[in-house]
Amino acid sequence: MNWGENYVNFLSDPDFWNTLQVSLVYAGLTVVLELLLGLGMALLLVRRTRLNNFISVMLLMPLMTAPALAALMFKLMTNPNFGILSYFMQVLGFENFRWGSDPSTALLTVLMVDIWVYTPFMMILLLAGLRSLPTQPFEAAALDGVPRWQQFWRITLPMLMPYVLTASLFRLLDSIQQFDIIYALTQGGPGDTLMVFQVEAYLNFFQSTNIGRSTALLIILWAITFVLSNLFIKNWLRLRERARGEI
Amino acid sequence: MRHHTVLETWLRGLAIAVIVLFFMFPIFWIVLMSFQTNETILRSPPSMAFVPTISNYEAIFAGRLDSNVASMDIKFLGNLGNSIILSVGSVAVALLLGVPAAYAFARHKFRGSEDIAFTLLSFRFAPPLLVLLPLTTYFQALGIADTYFGLIWVYQLICLPLILWIVRGYFEDIPADIEHAYRTAGHGWFATFRKIALPLAMPGIAAAGLLAFIFAWNNFIFALVLASADKQPVTVGALAFVTASGIQYGQIAAAVVLSIAPTLMLALYAQRYLVEGLSLGAVKG
Amino acid sequence: MNGLAIEGLSKTFKDQIVLDEVSFDVDKGETLVLFGPSGAGKTVLLRCIAGAVDQDSGTIWIDGHNVTATPPEARGVGMAFQNFALFPHMNAFENIASPLRARKSEPTKLEESVRAIARLLKIDHVLAHAPRELSNGQKQRTALARALAAEPGLLLLDDPLRNVDAKLRFEMRLELPRLLAGREATVIYVTQDYKEAMALGNRIAVLEEGRIAQIGTAEDIYLSPSNIAIAKLFGDPVINLLDVVPDCDERGAFFDLSDQRIALDFLPEKAVGVPCTLGIRPEDFTITKADVPNALPVNIEAETPLNEKTVTLAVTPLGQELLASRPAGTAIHGQDSAGYVFNSRKILFFDSKSGLRMDNSHSNEKRSE
Repeated sequence: MNWGENYVNFLSDPDFWNTLQVSLVYAGLTVVLELLLGLGMALLLVRRTRLNNFISVMLLMPLMTAPALAALMFKLMTNPNFGILSYFMQVLGFENFRWGSDPSTALLTVLMVDIWVYTPFMMILLLAGLRSLPTQPFEAAALDGVPRWQQFWRITLPMLMPYVLTASLFRLLDSIQQFDIIYALTQGGPGDTLMVFQVEAYLNFFQSTNIGRSTALLIILWAITFVLSNLFIKNWLRLRERARGEI
Repeated sequence: MRHHTVLETWLRGLAIAVIVLFFMFPIFWIVLMSFQTNETILRSPPSMAFVPTISNYEAIFAGRLDSNVASMDIKFLGNLGNSIILSVGSVAVALLLGVPAAYAFARHKFRGSEDIAFTLLSFRFAPPLLVLLPLTTYFQALGIADTYFGLIWVYQLICLPLILWIVRGYFEDIPADIEHAYRTAGHGWFATFRKIALPLAMPGIAAAGLLAFIFAWNNFIFALVLASADKQPVTVGALAFVTASGIQYGQIAAAVVLSIAPTLMLALYAQRYLVEGLSLGAVKG
Repeated sequence: MNGLAIEGLSKTFKDQIVLDEVSFDVDKGETLVLFGPSGAGKTVLLRCIAGAVDQDSGTIWIDGHNVTATPPEARGVGMAFQNFALFPHMNAFENIASPLRARKSEPTKLEESVRAIARLLKIDHVLAHAPRELSNGQKQRTALARALAAEPGLLLLDDPLRNVDAKLRFEMRLELPRLLAGREATVIYVTQDYKEAMALGNRIAVLEEGRIAQIGTAEDIYLSPSNIAIAKLFGDPVINLLDVVPDCDERGAFFDLSDQRIALDFLPEKAVGVPCTLGIRPEDFTITKADVPNALPVNIEAETPLNEKTVTLAVTPLGQELLASRPAGTAIHGQDSAGYVFNSRKILFFDSKSGLRMDNSHSNEKRSE
């Protein structure tokens, strides 16, 4: 058996290209959606009122739930017999909305769980970032009569950018390796709809005992995460130095 | 000062309400479910009106479920025990190894010390299966497959980098002069570590320990690949429970509630440190 | 026997030389002030002596013992840090007691010693307080008490008055010599304040870019600084510097200032025809009328009181600013155009190129081993 064979085979292997595509789509969509939602939530909760503090602490709970158990919770909620979400869909006029067991809605379902678990991560990082921004630029802008919606684009977002970048890279690194949620919810199915890298590698190893292919998949994933983690660490170090310098 | 129109205030309130609903509802619903019998769960349309019962919890704690249809064993209590042993054991080992290492990295910069620290950090970002799959073979050979020891060892991949990097930051925040002062006063380096560095970094050590506990508890993939049935923690056990119990939804819900309760409680207790811990010290909470 | 001896001490941080072959001796019981601008290496030198920083090369003797390889806790020194470095999780009593606990002092004796030193430093009423509950002055006194508590043979004080306000600093400057006098401890005192240096030390060692630039009594350094930089560090108002090329002819030594010949009673041989910087202390100028022979012609620009002196700012026709000082309350003739006369024996001659002083004729080496 030639060692390079597994990699050469990938070029003509539609399953590999499917895995790569699904993983990238999954990672890209989760990071973008969680970033937008998390940023929105951070902006809504940025003022330090007691209610806001209470809400942001409550919102940490999904993040502290084991992703595999979160997937199980959503599996119960999307059960066709008694699942509350299935019932809502029925009320809204979607009869037989089958969530994770339907190839056309499976991605939507795992995205929902991922968003539920990890958006609070984006939110608390961006919230801490927003609250650490200096106030003078905002005061100056208010004096200059800059409208509030422009303040966001011209002051808030540029100053928040290091936090946005670090949080997004951190999530991207985790998301491209997602296993728990997808495995617990659909085991990569239905069919190969959700065959991301680690799920595919796991099933190859244990079910088809195709150890060579499994390892090759993981090495390719490792190469991707290696590049991403170098980018991340660079950003993270800069931010960390700044955070420590502020003490 | 910001001035909001009435409409704006209402829209913000509505947005916050929708967000809270989306993020809180699943937990709320699973807790409700855990206090219902299968009959009330399966009612259509679903209703909030039901007589709460603790029979699901009783069944889990008794380890047996006797219904009019059949009776079956529930091994979920064992999973809870495993989760506690694995998480507490992993955090204890990680603290034992990680705190002195963090102190060394913070105080004694030597050639290559940063590289070693980064290598340890990079474990946090490598695909876990890349490490786990080869280990399945080695663990058999080493005779530590199916042992707590073997699992706790592997759990260090998550716990150790976390402890190392958070605690190191706290050690670095202690002014070096305070330690110098203690040593010139006549105390040895170990007394200085014990009486000065440790107490002053204690909040950080506690926070890192709690976070490491939460991550260990929530871990799924390590135990899925390496643990035998009698060593599985709740994350893996709950999934197996679903397959085994089939339609006992009330018990499944109760099992999930028992599984997520410890980390949620700890998180509420330690929320002050969460931001810093989750970002490995990049963002101050 | 020397209380402290340093030989060839060098330290480099990241390619930057912080200490460069520093050597000096301190007698037992003597107080040596380490003086110099910030970044000169004073604090690093002190830390090397304490053992908190490892030097790259060089040897340190304390009371005749080579302690170069001795860990800090076994060197038997007491040290007070510039930022106090109190242990935040211990109260003032435990802070002061810590060197005694390290020496396994017996409980009643320990309690007694802590209270005695606390009384001496007037902090006996705050012994139960945590450091964060202490005022800056109390923190500084606690730090001093901690350094003194075990009666160490060598006391290292790293700019202990730096972070307290002016009033407290003045009080402590008076109190410290009395506090140190009864102890027979060798003291190394680091400061950036020349008045503190002159008030506290038997001798002053001036550190410049990691080298000992001069070491001597306060008087030595004030009267015969070894270079321009040191001359500028000591004295308030700062010494006047005039760039001239002195010469010698049949009428004697002189220099020209805007076509005016200023005669000199004294001129070092080396200075003849060489670009020189003349250093003249403000108090060595006397203000006279403009037409007095050998007076520097100046225009008086401003006068301001400074401590118990009146300082006059005047400008020469070439635009050089010269300060003169005289005791407050004495009048001058009050004209804009005046003359500065000076005693040329008190002039310091520096080589303009190297900045080094050219003669030793004024130096009166009192110290000889």
